[in-house]
Amino acid sequence: MEQMLQEFISALRASGVRISVAETIEAFRAVSLVGYAKRATLKDALSATLPKSLQEKEIFEECFDRYFALDRFSGDHGEPSSTAPEPDGSESPLSRMVLEGDRDGLAVAMRRAAREVDLSGIRFFTQKSLYIQRILQRMGAERMDGDIENLTARGDGSSRGKAAFLRQAREILYENVRDFVEQQFPLFSKAVTKEIMERYLRGVRLSNLEQRDYERMKVIIKKMVKRLNDLHSRRKKAAKTGCPDLKKTLRENVAYQGLLFDLHWKARKMDRPDILALCDVSRSVETVARFMLLFLYSLSESIARIRSFIFCSNLVEVTHVFEEYGLDEALERLQKGVDLGIRLGRTDYGQAFRDFKAGWLDFVTPKTTILILGDARNNRGNPETGILRLLRERSRRIIWLNPEPPTFWGIGDSEMKRYAPYCYLARECSTILHMQRVVDFLLKTKQ
Amino acid sequence: MEKKYLTKFETAEGIRDGFKKTGYVCSRQVATTLYLAYHLDKPILVEGPAGVGKTELAKSASLYLEAPLIRLQCYEGLDESKALYEWKYGKQLLYTQILKDKLNEILDGAGDLESSMEKLHAHDDIFFSPRFLEPRPLLRALQQKEGAVLLVDEVDKSDQEFEAFLLEILSDFQVSVPEIGTIRAQEKPFVFLTSNNTREMSEALKRRCLHLYIPFPDVRQEKEIIRVRVPGLADRLRHQIVSFVHELRRLDLKKAPSISETIDWARVLLLLHASSLSASLIRDTLNVLLKFEEDMEVAGDNLHDMVRRAVVKT
Repeated sequence: MEQMLQEFISALRASGVRISVAETIEAFRAVSLVGYAKRATLKDALSATLPKSLQEKEIFEECFDRYFALDRFSGDHGEPSSTAPEPDGSESPLSRMVLEGDRDGLAVAMRRAAREVDLSGIRFFTQKSLYIQRILQRMGAERMDGDIENLTARGDGSSRGKAAFLRQAREILYENVRDFVEQQFPLFSKAVTKEIMERYLRGVRLSNLEQRDYERMKVIIKKMVKRLNDLHSRRKKAAKTGCPDLKKTLRENVAYQGLLFDLHWKARKMDRPDILALCDVSRSVETVARFMLLFLYSLSESIARIRSFIFCSNLVEVTHVFEEYGLDEALERLQKGVDLGIRLGRTDYGQAFRDFKAGWLDFVTPKTTILILGDARNNRGNPETGILRLLRERSRRIIWLNPEPPTFWGIGDSEMKRYAPYCYLARECSTILHMQRVVDFLLKTKQ
Repeated sequence: MEKKYLTKFETAEGIRDGFKKTGYVCSRQVATTLYLAYHLDKPILVEGPAGVGKTELAKSASLYLEAPLIRLQCYEGLDESKALYEWKYGKQLLYTQILKDKLNEILDGAGDLESSMEKLHAHDDIFFSPRFLEPRPLLRALQQKEGAVLLVDEVDKSDQEFEAFLLEILSDFQVSVPEIGTIRAQEKPFVFLTSNNTREMSEALKRRCLHLYIPFPDVRQEKEIIRVRVPGLADRLRHQIVSFVHELRRLDLKKAPSISETIDWARVLLLLHASSLSASLIRDTLNVLLKFEEDMEVAGDNLHDMVRRAVVKT
């Protein structure tokens, strides 16, 4: 039983629940208190000691039901058509169990075999048939085959009947083992596959990502923004204290006859980012734009003071879209330009900057960070570098994220080389890893 | 050593019945967790939506154990001096003033500075003795000789530093006061921590606790709660109330009505001598259940359907 619990815990771990050694010990103690007799109580006890958040509880529920599934043997796959002949003592143990109809015995034997061949080591779906064969072998299916051969060789009526029965039973046995492996497989493999996928997605260029990776990407970006936000919204006491607050100190110490007993400190203001984000949605960055917008959406969820704009032939503010709609609908609206008054023609950075200057220049203060996402391909129009310089002078800094690698900057109609001098930071941003570094940089409290 | 309250924690079923007598209806999960917490000497971290009775659980535990409830409400900026102990500066100062003359007497006859210092050292730490220690909730919980129920409420509102500082208390039930030494619990308190999930608690804290998630109850359990908390309500009305609240929770609301609000509503209806729910009655008393204007509007739009469903079911 103990090994079973240990295995269940490793299954939980594989599904992404973090369980420490201390918690494992705790679970064992809890189980020794409540016992294995009642399934529901066992579940409650494990649920109190192992998963430690709502998400983990959900995973736990699923794993528990899967792992401690009530073993029904053969029921789903039907019974052999004839009634079971009596065993005569010459059969292998497996055949005898089949003949006696000992389903519990078979279930236990299967679990034992699974443990012996280390089913918890299964990682990829291609290994399934391998494990099915191994389990069958361990249960003694070969000797059962031997029995069938012997009986067929003997040739008399009852032996032939028995052989037919065993052959049928063997099919059913195979089906059962397959079901069992199918059922256990997700327990052990889920996290690994996910991990591999995520690692791969982090490094791949955004423009090469396909629609089917999009869902996964969403999760990664959300996770990233949340982690960064957690990291940076953590209040650090040391950073908060500044010089002594004389007024408050005097006031508080009146009680001690004016002796300066209890010093008070001025709190330093936290530096929360104030961001204006401009995102290019033109055709040249089509493949990347979706992810840029996704990124912007996640940012706007976690950073209070952020205003977002999109531009193509002109520039419009879209902060309200992020606020009003859910993720998918917001992105859909932005890319199609529903009700926004955006013209999706030739990309015109010059016009976008002119629009920005006309409408929102007043919002640019020395505390503002301007974030521009785009490839700076201006179709040879007027780049309006003058406006960018003006913005640079008025704002705290400009950060430009370009999906193209620096070797392409300035080639063809790219104006990046002209814009770059006005940017505090101009970087290639074509993978999630790049994005992560930029956000990290943005949220840093002390600059 | 015989553990205290052993008789009260013999079985999970016993705990369940005992809590019911104090007016708290707990599910099997809650009872099992309480049972484990007692036998494993572990604090319980309780999570769940607002108003499902997280704090109430601790209060009932204190009633059930007949032990004092010591409550520490967490908030941003809570620190050791508010949570653990503080020196009574005022008292220390006052005493030094009063004892000035006495001090002269003691020092009388001492020739030089060194010998007066010597004399003072003979009386060393009187001003930093337990007498001048102002115990705050955590220390007070450890000092209770008869044991106590310690409730650290909304621990997610506190700072990260405070959380780290809780670890020592939660795992060893002891604290160190530099001037005095380590103070150990006389009788280990029964500890509850509640969290509303405004931020994720650290792994270290979670590891030291049993975790209990209390969701909104199902219809049967909520009826039971209402029966225990608002006796005197007719069966039919009780059923209607609970069904209606469950209908409400299904809507897309800013804040779904909690159990405590259901209880309040049941009390209100009892006061109004209502015998059955009707749309107009609900409209008049809806503000007991819903606390946002938008929610009231959403509920108002669907009111007739919901009332019909809630009443027809009976």
